[in-house]
Amino acid sequence: MTASGEAHRLLPRPLLAGVTVSLCAMVLVPTLYIVLASLNTDLGVASGEFWPGAFSLDSYSRIWTTADLATGLLNSIVVCALVAVASALLGTMTAYVLVRYTFLGRLTILRGLVGLQSVPGTLMLLPVFVLFSSAGNYLGVTVVGTRWGLFLAYLTFALPFSTWVMVTYLRGLPRELEEAGRMDGASTLRILFRIIVPLSLPAIVVSGIFAFLLGWNDVLFASVLTRPETHTAAVALSAFGATQEGGALPVYSQVMAAALISAAPVVLLYLVFQRYLVGGLTAGGVK
Amino acid sequence: MTDDSTATGRRRRGVSARQRPLWLLAPGGVLMTLIIVIPLLLALYISLIDLDQYTLRRWLDAPFIGLSNFTEAFGSGLPHSIWISVSFAVIATAATVPFGIAAAVATQNAYRGRALVRAVFLIPYVLPSFVVATVWRTMLQPDGIVNTVLAKAGVAGGLWLSGPKSYWTLVLVEIWAAWPFIYLMALAGLQSVDHEVYEASAIDGADWWPKLTRVVLPYLRGPVLLACLLATLNHINNFTLPYVLFGAPAPDDVNVMPMIVYVTSFQGLRFGLSAAMAIVSLLLVAIPLFAYLRALRLDVHEDGDRT
Repeated sequence: MTASGEAHRLLPRPLLAGVTVSLCAMVLVPTLYIVLASLNTDLGVASGEFWPGAFSLDSYSRIWTTADLATGLLNSIVVCALVAVASALLGTMTAYVLVRYTFLGRLTILRGLVGLQSVPGTLMLLPVFVLFSSAGNYLGVTVVGTRWGLFLAYLTFALPFSTWVMVTYLRGLPRELEEAGRMDGASTLRILFRIIVPLSLPAIVVSGIFAFLLGWNDVLFASVLTRPETHTAAVALSAFGATQEGGALPVYSQVMAAALISAAPVVLLYLVFQRYLVGGLTAGGVK
Repeated sequence: MTDDSTATGRRRRGVSARQRPLWLLAPGGVLMTLIIVIPLLLALYISLIDLDQYTLRRWLDAPFIGLSNFTEAFGSGLPHSIWISVSFAVIATAATVPFGIAAAVATQNAYRGRALVRAVFLIPYVLPSFVVATVWRTMLQPDGIVNTVLAKAGVAGGLWLSGPKSYWTLVLVEIWAAWPFIYLMALAGLQSVDHEVYEASAIDGADWWPKLTRVVLPYLRGPVLLACLLATLNHINNFTLPYVLFGAPAPDDVNVMPMIVYVTSFQGLRFGLSAAMAIVSLLLVAIPLFAYLRALRLDVHEDGDRT
């Protein structure tokens, strides 16, 4: 450590070590227990072991029959992937116009996009549920309990969010990038898909991932709008975790295994796209 | 905002000479109108009608009862829920700020293994809320690991998921899950501190505490205040954590606004009443929301105009 580096230190070494160790312990002790418990047996966890007496992957194989996780994971992946693609695509188109052109109501829309992210989910779910369930009566279409019903419901918060992510990115793209294309008389669609989309691919991916995560992490909408055949991983896990009370033998080890499996796709996305998720929004167009 | 709109007006004339492809807005705009604007207006209408499980199938014919749902809501558990929600959100936000700032300051200077520490700090942030709630629910069972550890230390843990202690369970788990958000925002703020500032304070030979509080932390005020507003909004709207931790209906001490709205509509099947409650909760988040929207610069039309 050079002298100037030492002078730049914000905290004295002992304090730095103390803060780092205690924050890491706060995060890691519960996390470590979750992992260890999932590798233990139900009996071992129930007897209060922190460190498993015997490691086994038993819980990871048993949850597929005890919890309805496979259906949930499949539904979550299908619905959220569709939400991600639709939000990223429509969000990019909408954001491009919002950033490049002025028109009446533009500011209202921008404010709405941000504001919508803070509208209570319950306020949104209620009319969506009434509309969906009355679609059955007034139109003869079943929506509640279907995957595409859930897809539409998730768009209510994923689409404005993705659009906002794209707005924050696209307004950093210099206008000059498209001027050349415009001089050549290229159509707006051509400019959008040949110039804007390739340049903002990282941001588009990020906006899609965020949309995916919003859907994946939702419990509120899925708990009301799904049937057992269409429920999501979040609903399957919460139901599995909630049935553990008052039973003869609690299966805490299996709950932990199921929880880790439900978190795995999200953790994987963060690991793979970390660079984009962090850098995607700050990356500039012209280097 | 006045400056903004005049600037926009000037620019609008320049742009309107070109053709504006507003039709590109149509797919997203129509969809958002159908699935967001119409439902929100409908929510307002539902709060004014007597909609329950009997009238749900033909909700267009449900009787209009004016503000009766609102008066009934305030006569029932709503004020209690407002108090629980607001106090929970404020305590959780206030408690996460020191953690977030400490973590950001501690990882500001490079050292071996810092990348790993930063990754560890993000674990609670990356884990889905329903996973966090499920694992804590399991660990906080009467025969769970938390009580086992406490018993070894000679402390009787008791019940965490029902009774008066459930409120603090909710607060503590929320703090555990939410502090990395403040950390991330504080980290972004720290990165904007000029190197000259460090140089200057280093030359002055300032001690670490005055250097931190007088030189570095002022840079964090803006980002952290913004983070606090957003975090408070997220705490107030958090449905997943109380729902998965305690189940529905929730114990009285953790009957936050999203829970009472959910239970009133999907278990009590009083949709009109619960819409009124949801509108009230929207008005409640509107206060921090307007503060946030004011702080956020929205109308950035061209990168060159950014200030």
